[in-house]
Amino acid sequence: MAAYILRRMLSAIAVMAMVGIFVFLLLRLAPGDPADILAGDTATEEMVAGIRASLGLNDPLPVQFVYWVRHMLGGDFGISIFSGRPVLELISQRLEPTLSLSILTMILAVTVGVSFGILAAWRTGGLIDRLLVVFSALGYSVPVFVIGFFLIYFFAIRTHWLPVQGYKPFESGLGPWFVHLILPTVTLSLAYIAFIARVTRASMLEVLSEDYMRTAAAKGASSYAMLFHHALKNAGVPILTVIGISFAYLIGGVVLTETVFNIPGIGRLVVDAINNRDYPIIQSVLILASGMYVLINLTVDLAYTLIDPRIRY
Amino acid sequence: MTISRRNLVKMGIAAGAAVSIPSVLRAQTAPTAARTVRMVKSSDLSIFDPIFSAANITQEHGMAIYDTLFALDAKFMPQPQMVGKWGVSDDKKTYTFELRDALGWHDGTPVTAADCVASIRRWGEVSASGQMLMARASDISKKGDKTFTIALKEPVGLLLDILASPVGPCLFIMREKDASRPASEQVTTNIGSGPFKFNDALARPGASFTYDRNEKYVPRNEPSDGLAGGKVVKVDRVVWENIRDKQTALAALQAGEIDYFEEPSVDLLSVIESDPELVLEVLNKSGYDMYLRMNCLQKPFDNVKARQAMLYLIDQEAFMRAAIGNPEYFKTVTSWFGNGTPYTNDENTGWFKKGGNPEKAKQLFKEAGYSGEKVVILQPTDYQLFGNAAQFLAAEMRKIGVNAELAPSDLGGVRKRRAKKDPVETGGWSIFITSDSDYSRGEPHTNVTMTANGENAWYGWPKDDKYEALRAKWADVATLDERKSLARKMQKVYWDSVGTVLLGQYFAPTVRRRTLTGLIGMPDIFPMWNMQKAEA
Repeated sequence: MAAYILRRMLSAIAVMAMVGIFVFLLLRLAPGDPADILAGDTATEEMVAGIRASLGLNDPLPVQFVYWVRHMLGGDFGISIFSGRPVLELISQRLEPTLSLSILTMILAVTVGVSFGILAAWRTGGLIDRLLVVFSALGYSVPVFVIGFFLIYFFAIRTHWLPVQGYKPFESGLGPWFVHLILPTVTLSLAYIAFIARVTRASMLEVLSEDYMRTAAAKGASSYAMLFHHALKNAGVPILTVIGISFAYLIGGVVLTETVFNIPGIGRLVVDAINNRDYPIIQSVLILASGMYVLINLTVDLAYTLIDPRIRY
Repeated sequence: MTISRRNLVKMGIAAGAAVSIPSVLRAQTAPTAARTVRMVKSSDLSIFDPIFSAANITQEHGMAIYDTLFALDAKFMPQPQMVGKWGVSDDKKTYTFELRDALGWHDGTPVTAADCVASIRRWGEVSASGQMLMARASDISKKGDKTFTIALKEPVGLLLDILASPVGPCLFIMREKDASRPASEQVTTNIGSGPFKFNDALARPGASFTYDRNEKYVPRNEPSDGLAGGKVVKVDRVVWENIRDKQTALAALQAGEIDYFEEPSVDLLSVIESDPELVLEVLNKSGYDMYLRMNCLQKPFDNVKARQAMLYLIDQEAFMRAAIGNPEYFKTVTSWFGNGTPYTNDENTGWFKKGGNPEKAKQLFKEAGYSGEKVVILQPTDYQLFGNAAQFLAAEMRKIGVNAELAPSDLGGVRKRRAKKDPVETGGWSIFITSDSDYSRGEPHTNVTMTANGENAWYGWPKDDKYEALRAKWADVATLDERKSLARKMQKVYWDSVGTVLLGQYFAPTVRRRTLTGLIGMPDIFPMWNMQKAEA
């Protein structure tokens, strides 16, 4: 197991290195550079040239790359070209909102999605199953911003029950933190509930049709025991895979929800940085995101051994 | 050890109390909601140095935390602000300024004449008017702790206007140690002597910035008047919330979570007008002049007839209807000096005034030798106003047989590409669209977009030596009437050579909750003093 984890960690470093090279080149080859944006609309060419020189953007690409890598290996992710603040400080400010939203979304999506999927599989063709089909279609097809504004209209503007927008850090109190995350969590989780419920249903149906389930029923096992002790455990591997992938996607894909509910998360940080060509932020976030993606996949792979004792590394 | 239900309840209460303690403490120290104004500005503050960047949002940040030597009143006349007394020698070549009492930096140290001298020098590196002043100054030096002088080689009639100009970068006074940095390097200390203090601990770049009232700031005794007069702050805290989505910003305003929302999009105006709690108004009554720049170095616009053709082609009324929509928020503008400056005039405008003459435009393109070359129009797709205008322009040009092609990219891409002087075949461009504040068209000596000195001019590089010779006289002219006369001469020459084609003047409305009052509207800059908030 230890050797497997070590191998995976080494491959994570290789993945991060490749992402680093790719992102660095992509940014430099894309049109636009931060000096033009920094200087503003009425800047003269001389002003832009002066800023470009002061940022070191006139140096050859290999020199810029080596400079960046050397500093990053020393734990220095650089300074934001625009705000002049350390990139790590900016990322740490944005990590909490994104993680809060992602974790709450996953808790809601897994709880509701798995339950919904089990119930639908248990009563195939019944009311719950048909409801799941309708819900899945809606969850997949209605865009986040439509759901978001719909919820804002009813729960914030009409009734004033919940805030329209914004994020309160955890340190400001559990209540304000949670209240500000209710609408974004519900909005974001609908698609994931639909996805997880569909996979759970399919996986459970496959297991429920196995011979050993019929044997368990013949032996008088209760519905609860059949569903949760026999079926769910065996159907767990694909469900866990989907949850892992969903969580990884979620961290990188919350930007639209963050925008609609004005949550200052990682997604918005990256979009703003791309618009401004703030190279140090884009590079650092993408490197860290790729590392996190690999880590989540590794965690999911290791979690398989808890569900299925046949899996060994 | 077993855990009883009672213990579990106790632990839950204790945990809840522990988690809520920080918010209880904060509630005792933070200003009340009634003394805090939450604003959504038209763009995000990302650069903090108002000399380094002329962006409006950075200038507004500067106006909050820094102070200025002079400032314009509501009639655009320069008035002393940090300066207490000033005088000029009989030969009009030496100005002496004395700072007023009680000026202090946010770090507690006093403002000195040395700070002013260093700030003028740094501003003089980047500002067009500052560069002109530095070229004409023989000496700028301190004469005491609170006194400094500007000695000129020749009299500059507009010196006080230049020092007071709100066209960015404005002359903000910084600490000497900050102002000693080159202007190409950002100052990020955010320590000024203005009426607001930047709250660095609560700064969340990309999300929100907080400004606290500077309790030690001593305003002038005169009543507030434009950017001049007493800067009396009537709230404890102002928070700039960066709500990117305009629909969300409006919802937050309706729910009372914010108090002010700058530049709502046109499609939201009817919703705003129907809400009795909201007030829609145009604070910046100068508005903005939208215009297109042609690449005068490359075909077809290296030929003056092709440029004149564009003046004939553009029907401003139709253009503004397509770009802005509601006629309440736009006007046509034909004077090179804008609609609302003292220098607005109608010299040499009769021939194209109505525009919308495609036949004449077509004929002039023909006379210019146009034979179907590609005309590339840069289109910023992330800037709806200019993006839509570019699309409309392309359609109008195609109607008269011009091979117009849109080059879509984000605004960053447009800014990068417009610097290229090459032909379109090798990555150059033919036209891009942008805008200036109408007020800034009254400052041809500071507004870089009003230059016509060829490859040294702003993007598009128009060249007209006669115009430039007239423009060079602008700052030296002593009286308003003489400048008005000069403006007519400059306009006559400019509309013959046509470096720019005006597309119309538009106004960006702002919306506030009815409880927020006392907002000051000036060109480009909305200062935060004087506003107050009543209980809802």
